[in-house]
Amino acid sequence: MIRFSNVSLVYPHSTKTILEDLSFEIEEGEMVLVMGETGSGKSSLLKLINGLVPHHTGGILAGDISVDGISTRTVKPGALAHLVGIVGQNPLNGFVTDIVEEELAFSMEALNVAPDVMRKRVEEVLDILGLTAIRNRSIATLSGGEQQRVAIGTALVMHPKVLVLDEPTSALDPIAAEEVLSVLHRLVHDLSVTVIIAEHRLERVIQFVDRIIYIEGNGETSIGPAEEILQRAELVPPIIRLARALHLNEFKTSVRDVRRQTEEFRLRDYPVSPARSRSSIPAIVVSEISHSYGRKSALRKASTTIGHGEIVAIMGRNGAGKSTLLHSIVGLHAPDSGSITVNGGDPLTLKGGDRRRAIGYVPQEPSDLLFAQSVGDECAQADGDNQLNPGSTWALLNSLVPHISLHTHPNDLSEGQRLALVLSIVLAANPEVLVLDEPTRGLDYRAKNLFTLALKEYATQSNRPVLLATHDVELVAELADRVLFLAEGEIVADGPTLDVLLSSPAFAPQVAKIMSPKPWLTVSDVVTAIGAAE
Amino acid sequence: MRKPLHPLTLWIASILLAIGVVALDSAFIALAIVGAVALFVFVRRDGSPWNMSFALSLRIGATILAIRTVVGVLIGVPIPGRALFTIPILHLPSWMPGIRIGGAVTIERLSSSLHEGVMIAALIALFGAATSLTSPHRLLRVTPSFIYEIGITLVIATSLFPQMATSIRRIRAAQKLRGMEKVKLGAIALPLLEESLARSLQLAASMDARGYGISRKRSRYRPQQWLFRDSALIAGATAICLAMVVQ
Repeated sequence: MIRFSNVSLVYPHSTKTILEDLSFEIEEGEMVLVMGETGSGKSSLLKLINGLVPHHTGGILAGDISVDGISTRTVKPGALAHLVGIVGQNPLNGFVTDIVEEELAFSMEALNVAPDVMRKRVEEVLDILGLTAIRNRSIATLSGGEQQRVAIGTALVMHPKVLVLDEPTSALDPIAAEEVLSVLHRLVHDLSVTVIIAEHRLERVIQFVDRIIYIEGNGETSIGPAEEILQRAELVPPIIRLARALHLNEFKTSVRDVRRQTEEFRLRDYPVSPARSRSSIPAIVVSEISHSYGRKSALRKASTTIGHGEIVAIMGRNGAGKSTLLHSIVGLHAPDSGSITVNGGDPLTLKGGDRRRAIGYVPQEPSDLLFAQSVGDECAQADGDNQLNPGSTWALLNSLVPHISLHTHPNDLSEGQRLALVLSIVLAANPEVLVLDEPTRGLDYRAKNLFTLALKEYATQSNRPVLLATHDVELVAELADRVLFLAEGEIVADGPTLDVLLSSPAFAPQVAKIMSPKPWLTVSDVVTAIGAAE
Repeated sequence: MRKPLHPLTLWIASILLAIGVVALDSAFIALAIVGAVALFVFVRRDGSPWNMSFALSLRIGATILAIRTVVGVLIGVPIPGRALFTIPILHLPSWMPGIRIGGAVTIERLSSSLHEGVMIAALIALFGAATSLTSPHRLLRVTPSFIYEIGITLVIATSLFPQMATSIRRIRAAQKLRGMEKVKLGAIALPLLEESLARSLQLAASMDARGYGISRKRSRYRPQQWLFRDSALIAGATAICLAMVVQ
């Protein structure tokens, strides 16, 4: 279906080769995962398939790519619209119309499809993707999962033979992600659509994929069956790390298979590790706050207390009120009712330097905080703001991520490096409390690891609280001491990570699913428990 | 939900009114029309993000009015009339003849500056009103596909404008939380520019990938209907325009 022969790619004004001498073939009805570090060229590879690269971006392409026998060299991306459907990283930015039904019809209108055919196909896609109930809704009012399904629908109406998706679940909560992936799985199996997908959170997709294209840091690319590639890859999901840690002789990608392999480990009894005691001194006190946007209420009488040295994760579905709660705590807006104190003070009254020292906040788009022309300027600005010795912020950044050049423009950093830069700028003020909104979007496993270590160090060394909103179950399992679970603006669960994550199957991390009913969340939990027993 | 007007209606009406305002050249009538348009915008707004562009256009208009007045009073050819007050004349080098900075400010000079400022501001407000009530996406759907490049530029430009306002608010909030109290233009412009560029490129890529502009003809899934209200509105605007041109 898709054939890459000796493909190399260089972007204009750049000396770095993105892909080098890449050759592979993908059959009809295959589901292929593209994995690699951030900035390794995954998105470029995906866009090569329908010719957006180089037709839309510029760049030099050597070799040839053909889709269903048509060379992408000779036709514009639009001429492949009936063959290749592409769904970008942020579907909202790709929508052209306002209403779901009109959006689905857009490409058919552009290609002059007869109205009666259009009607039929729109109905069909609405059914396949379960969008019938929202067909007349305005797209801007849909939840993240619904938007993602609409985006897939806009590609599906053309009856494409190939569907290309760039991180389709990165903005979605675990349940919405599951929905989207099961739709893809069905398309592959029922309609024999070829699906090519790029994703960082391998734990979400790994069980569905047939083959993997692995782009390594040094530009080398390999393709092969999932098990084979994962055996030697560096960035692997917890399920593979578990298999490695337990020295299993075969690497499987589905929870069911690994459960069978590890039965002996679950049969034994293990000493119960003592539960960590919760800090008693409260740092953030939230009492009965409510907040609403217009008629829509986002928070209803939420109360909680966060102690010193605690790392607390706020979880919940898209639109459950996570960001609203964070914004109230950092003092971005006053709650309609109720009160919040951060270390005894009211966050609304904080200003300038006092605010920097009281609350460190990393927004959902870390680049909102960056405006200087180079990493060096950015660090110097932070030093000046906080009256630190020149070079302090830079040293902090280096301890998080080494090898960043002082002269790099912030826009040229990878997602992980940019987050590290923002984090060091925020931490330079030595804030009493650290608050982060969805910090790990677009981070690969290595960047996430570094980030986890940095936050743990901050929380334990200076005994200060960290509060983060996230959809990333694996991150929460590794990092958080406690989880607040929000639903419809109410806190429905508030307890130790172990209890909250184990109590809901959708939010359980991979290791917990494999090892249930044992109370383990991460690979290191398992290794420690088994080590202690032996 | 109220049925929207045809996306072209308000643009045509705005253009007609603009022609009338320019032809009549009366600041008071221009202000009256802007007032009427403002009322119309207030009644028809539906809470979509581009609704804010009218307020923004008024602000831009007010800024232009202020600048035009100050510059008109300070610099320019002296207009005889009753002097209000006198500013000391700045002596310019001899190679800049005919330009005078300062001097007597007459009522005539002040009013002519104000007048020009009001006219410019009124034109901007008229087009701001059309943008704020017309979804840029619906507008694109009625543009014929042979003006493909223009269509794409139009959609990007018009959807960028309101999105920028949202982004500015978000960036300001984030920076306030970093303890940056003063608004620095550069500090907002850079992240804003980056985001807007990325967004436009993504939208253009998406339209490209979905076959926009490939076929010369395009079919209609649900045609944008031109209803009686649209004709009535255009007829009204034409009448006002004619009245102003002819008078």
